[in-house]
This record gives sequence, C-alpha cells and structure tokens, in this order.
Amino acid sequence: MTHRTIAGSAAPPARSRFARSVRRYDWTGYVFISPWLVGFLLLTLWPIGQSFYLSFTDYSLLSQPVWSGGANYAKIFGGDPTFKKSLSVTVAFVLYSVPLKLLFSLLVAMLLNRNLRGMSFYRTAVYFPSLIGGSVAVAALWRNMFGKDGYVNHVLAWFGIEGTGWISNPDTALGTLVLLNTWQFGSTMVIFLAGLKQIPQELYESASVDGARPIRRFYHITLPMLSPVLFFNLVLGIIGSFQMFTASFVITPRGGPMQSTYVYAVFLYEKAFKHFQMGYASALAWVLLAIVAVLTALNFLGSRYWVFYESDGRGAK
Amino acid sequence: MSRKRFKGWGFPALALLLVLAACGGGGGGKESEGSPAPADGGSSGSGGASSPVELGITWWGPDERHQATLAALKIYSQQNPGVTFKPEYMAWDAFWQKLPTLAASKTVPDVLQMDAAYIQDYVSRGVMEDLSDIDLSGVVPDNILENVKIGGKLYGIPLSHNAQGVAYNKAALEAAGIPLPKQGWTWEEYFRWARDAKAKLPEDQYPIGDAANAWDWFQWYQASMGKGPIMSDGGKTFNLDHDLFVKFHEELSALRKDKVLPPPDLSLSFLENDPQADPMASGKVMTRGGTVGSVAALESLLPGKVDVVNVPNGPSGGGWAQSTIFLGVSSNSKHKEEAKKFVKWFITDPEGGKTLGLTRGIPINEAIYKELEPNLAAKDKLSKRLAEVASEKAMPFYPAGPGFTEWVDFYKTTMEAVMFGQKSIEDVRRDQQAGAGHRRQKQVNGSAG
Repeated sequence: MTHRTIAGSAAPPARSRFARSVRRYDWTGYVFISPWLVGFLLLTLWPIGQSFYLSFTDYSLLSQPVWSGGANYAKIFGGDPTFKKSLSVTVAFVLYSVPLKLLFSLLVAMLLNRNLRGMSFYRTAVYFPSLIGGSVAVAALWRNMFGKDGYVNHVLAWFGIEGTGWISNPDTALGTLVLLNTWQFGSTMVIFLAGLKQIPQELYESASVDGARPIRRFYHITLPMLSPVLFFNLVLGIIGSFQMFTASFVITPRGGPMQSTYVYAVFLYEKAFKHFQMGYASALAWVLLAIVAVLTALNFLGSRYWVFYESDGRGAK
Repeated sequence: MSRKRFKGWGFPALALLLVLAACGGGGGGKESEGSPAPADGGSSGSGGASSPVELGITWWGPDERHQATLAALKIYSQQNPGVTFKPEYMAWDAFWQKLPTLAASKTVPDVLQMDAAYIQDYVSRGVMEDLSDIDLSGVVPDNILENVKIGGKLYGIPLSHNAQGVAYNKAALEAAGIPLPKQGWTWEEYFRWARDAKAKLPEDQYPIGDAANAWDWFQWYQASMGKGPIMSDGGKTFNLDHDLFVKFHEELSALRKDKVLPPPDLSLSFLENDPQADPMASGKVMTRGGTVGSVAALESLLPGKVDVVNVPNGPSGGGWAQSTIFLGVSSNSKHKEEAKKFVKWFITDPEGGKTLGLTRGIPINEAIYKELEPNLAAKDKLSKRLAEVASEKAMPFYPAGPGFTEWVDFYKTTMEAVMFGQKSIEDVRRDQQAGAGHRRQKQVNGSAG
C-alpha cells in the first residue's frame, strides 16, 4: 500500500489546503479500476438506491411512482399469503439443498484429492458438467428428463417402478429442483479441493503413526482444518439458494403444480414483470436482502464456535 | 503464513456476501430508470416521408410466421424506398416477458403485434397509439371494427379472424371405434361422450384433457349457460357464478375419479405444441382446445389426423370467435405517420397479403382471402374449418380484465390443489365467496390513458 505516486510528488506546490489534500490523495488507483468502478456505480449502486426508493412507492412501470410510505412493507408483513408461501418454499429449498450440496461436493472433493494416475483427467471429467451448470439449456433438459414420460421414468420402468411426473407432482417437484441444485456441485467442489490441498500432509502422517484410522483422521484433522472453507461454502450456498430462480422458472413454469416450487425470486419477478407492481417487488427485494443479511450475520456469529483458524492457537474459538 | 492462508477465506466471504446479496436485492429495480413520460396526446410524429426512416417492429409467432413477415417487410421496403425495418420476433412467452420491460424503458418498437388478452392492459398503460384516424372502410367489416374498439377508439388494427374450438385426433378415434364428436355438441353431450369414449380406450389414453385449472374453460361454461363473462367493464365488474362453479368442477372431479381425465401429474406435464409433451401429439389425449391461429401447428405434428369441432355449447352459445391479433403503433414512436401507413398496408396490399398467407389466421380483408383461397395448404384448410365450426354459435372473446393477472394465478393454484385432492370444491367456493384472490389489484393512478 504505497501512497506516493510519480504524479503526486512531481506536482507543483499546492495553493490551498484543500487542493493539496486532494492532490496528495492517491487517485491513480481509482483511474486504473475506473472501467469497473463506473459500471459498479451506474449499473449496480444506482439501481440499488433506486430500488430502495421505489420500495416506498406504488409504481406500475409506466406511470410515475407515487409515494406510499411503508404500505408495501406493511402488506408484506401483514399476511400476504403468497409471500408466506414463497418464503416457506424457499426456506425448504435452502434447508434441503445447502447441506446436500455441501456433503456431496465434499465427498467428491475427497475422492479427487487422492494421488491416482490420471487424476487430472477425472477432475476435468467431474467438473465438466459444471461448465454448463446453471444454464437455461440444462434446465430445459431436466424438464424433459423428469417429465411424466421422461428418461428417468423409462429407466425406472426397467425395474418395474412406475414413476410419477416428477416435476408435475406437487410432492416431488421441489425435490427434483434440489437434486438439480446438488448436481451443480462443481464450483463448491473445487473450493473444497483447494482447501484439502492446503492441509499439511505431516498432520495425517503423524496421526497415522499414532494409529488413527481414516474416520478418526477425517473428524480430527480434515474437518477442523477445512472448517474455514466449509464456512465459506456454507455462506455462499445459503445466499445462492435464497436467490434460486432459473431452475424453478424454466423447469416448473408459473411456480409449478400448486405453486410447490414458487420460490421467492420467482415471486419477486412475477410481481415486477407480470403484475407490474414494481414498488412491491422492490420492497420484496429489500426484505430478501434483510433476511439473507441476518442469516449471514448469524452464521458469522455462530462460526466462532466451530470454525477453526489454525493460527489462533485457541482451539475452536 | 498459515494464518493468512486460512483466515483469508473470511474476508472474501464477506465481500462476496455484500456483492451477491446486493445483486439479488437490486434485481427488482434494475429496469426501473424510467425517464419522465413524454407528453403524449395528439402529437403526431415527424412524418417526413422523404428522409430515410427505420421502423422498429416486433411480433410473436412460430417460425413460419417469422419468415413470411420478413418477406413482407422486404416487399414494403421495395415499394417504399427509404423505409427500412428493424424486426424483432420471438415466441409467445418470450414476447410477453419482454414487452413489459420495453414499455417501462419507453423503447417499444414503432410497430408491435398485440393480442386481445393483453390489449386493454397496454392501452390503459398508455403504450398504444390511437389509430382511429386510419380509414379502414371496405377493408375491415364495420361491426368487427366497432367490436375491437376500446373506449370508442381504435388502438390496434385487427389482422385476422380467430376462433376457439376443440381439435380431436380423428384417426385414433376411428381406430378405437369411437363415434366422432358431433358438431354443435353441448356440455352434457361432451361429458357423456368422454365417458363412453373412455370405455373403448386403453388405460393410458384419455378422451379429454383436464381443464380444471384453466380459468377460461370455466368462463366458456359460465358464459354459455347465460351467466356472462367473469370479468367485464374493463375489469370493474367481477361476476363468478358460484353454483355453476361447483357444478362444473364436481363434474370434472367425478370424471377424474373414474379415470376419464388423466391423473393430475400427467395433466400438468403437458406442454402444447411440444412434439413429445403435447397432450394430443403424444397420443395420450384424444382432444384439446385449439384456435384458428394455433391449430395449424397441431396439424403439422399429426399430419392428416386432426379434425375440429366447436367448444361445447350451452343455451347462450359456446366458444368464441373474434379478431384477437392486432397490429398497433407505439405511443412513443418517433415515426407515427410512417408506422400508421405501414399497418394499413399490412392488411390491404395484395402482394403483401399473398406473402403473409394464413400465418396470422384467416385474413380480415375479404379481398385478400379470396385470392388465397384456391391455393390453401392442408393445415390452412383446417384453420378455415375451425373458423367455420366455431362461429356457428360463437360468443365474443372475454379476456381477463386489467388487474386480474393475480386472480388467474389464484384460480390455477387452488384448482390444482383440488385436482390433487388437497382441497375440496366446497373449500374453494367458500374462499371465492369470501372474496379471496379475486379482489382486483390496485391500479395505481387509475388508468394512465
């Protein structure tokens, strides 16, 4: 973090104190990041501010927004049944999909962390589906696979099982989406793999010498050493799952059978672009932000009790 | 070093959290940087015909319609040097997902296709230019022109005759020895036909589809029984007949119980016009609804096997026949005069009409249709036949009123709960009577006309 710049030091003496302080401040860095910075200010920060304002208005996209105070928020918390429904669907999705995806990607990462001949090939092969992971095309493919007449039911039929319409049955539709989410484990897995690589081999060696069996080595070395990575993936997983949209929107159009896959992001989208209630949708977006922020804060608080940073020297604190 | 190694994960996590959460949070407002509305009103466009003009134009439809329309645009450019087009065309779903954002950002193309189901909404939002000054006498029959006016003004040029009927798989019914649906059938005959037909069909084939979650089927039933449309007066009046509602859905529930209707998880997996998932093309269901504009697609999936019949009648009629596809001009267009000239050309020019063919239904302009008639393809003949069988006792087309999109969702969701046996019809009736779901959404600023 060096603050002297060539431009700054070569500048003539400043007249006023303000001009001097402006000049002394290092602007070069901002110039370098300006392509990103301009985009961030105009395309991210400005719309965020705009949506905060709109969340206090009635705005149907075409007429001017009309200030309505907290009416949108009052309606959300005053028992909008669709809000409750979509929130409960989303929470169910998060509760199932996050742990499943973490477990599965950790398992795969551990398999890929072995020293086998041709491991780089396996790694590529396993990661490959994630390259096309969250796209609409994959969602459309899943829609065909899990349809009443899809491949999955054809395979089940070989074993004499008559499958249901997985995505058209309210009991199984959300589960199918959880499965799809778990299958898109690639980036989570890669982060786990990087974390596993960083665990010093000596720890395992000395534990082996002391007679620790693999399961014990996992619980007492791998898990604690990996806990920061696990925490990172957990936080990201929760945030990502709360914002799940594509799968629900493409695979189960219009919220699925009996709105069983009507997740929060789809609800928000429909409020905005189908029912033209931009103000209400903006309020929903801010409520979602608040929910995710609170959950993440709780996560960070809770992390003190289980995330282990090697150098703290205070155990799991 | 090791501290950095692991502690490092915490900060990116926090930074990413902020960015990710913010992106999601801002999503609702991203498209909302609306500039103040231009003071529209009678202000006509520049109209400078001599300077080169590029007209934006957008429509939805199948590929055949896209190709025909592009060819017609080329002809117009040849006839009118200096006018070029910037076409944007897509499928139905994509069109209605995109149009709201275009409308919000005041970037609706100069010329746009419109549908009867949505035109009231877009007129009330001030998107559509008033086209009443275009002279269409002798091109569009006067009664049709009066019919499609909104508040006494013309906002879209009707392009074609459309109608709702029922398509059936003639080949499969004949093979199973089932008598074909009788033209002019009533609801009682429709339900009875379904029961009789099921007896001759294998277990995994069904005579009729399950229309319980489609609000418009119930509306056809209610209107045919003389109780009128569910929504009228541009969405100000809501009239759902609770007794008919219970009667209609109890009939459907009984049919579902007797396996005359497909099981609900099958019903909800159908996707019309999809080669594998279409109820009829997949061979699972013998009949389904079809319109003049869409039945040609079914004919190409089941060539030579499809025939059509009317939507079941009641004492007051059945189904609907009306112009439902329009061509309109955007109220924020900079070339309104050129655009108006073009939309009139679209239904009057013989060469253009020949190129467009029946890709938007039976042309509204009798003169143009007469020229096309000798050379109709099989699927076009089916469209024409549907227009004929449907118009016998047809009623007008009743769209969901402006502000009722949420009620339509409510109807679909609750009736799906009934289909899966998780709600009783009595429950839904009680909810409906208590006003659940069908209170009209608040329309901000009234109608922003």
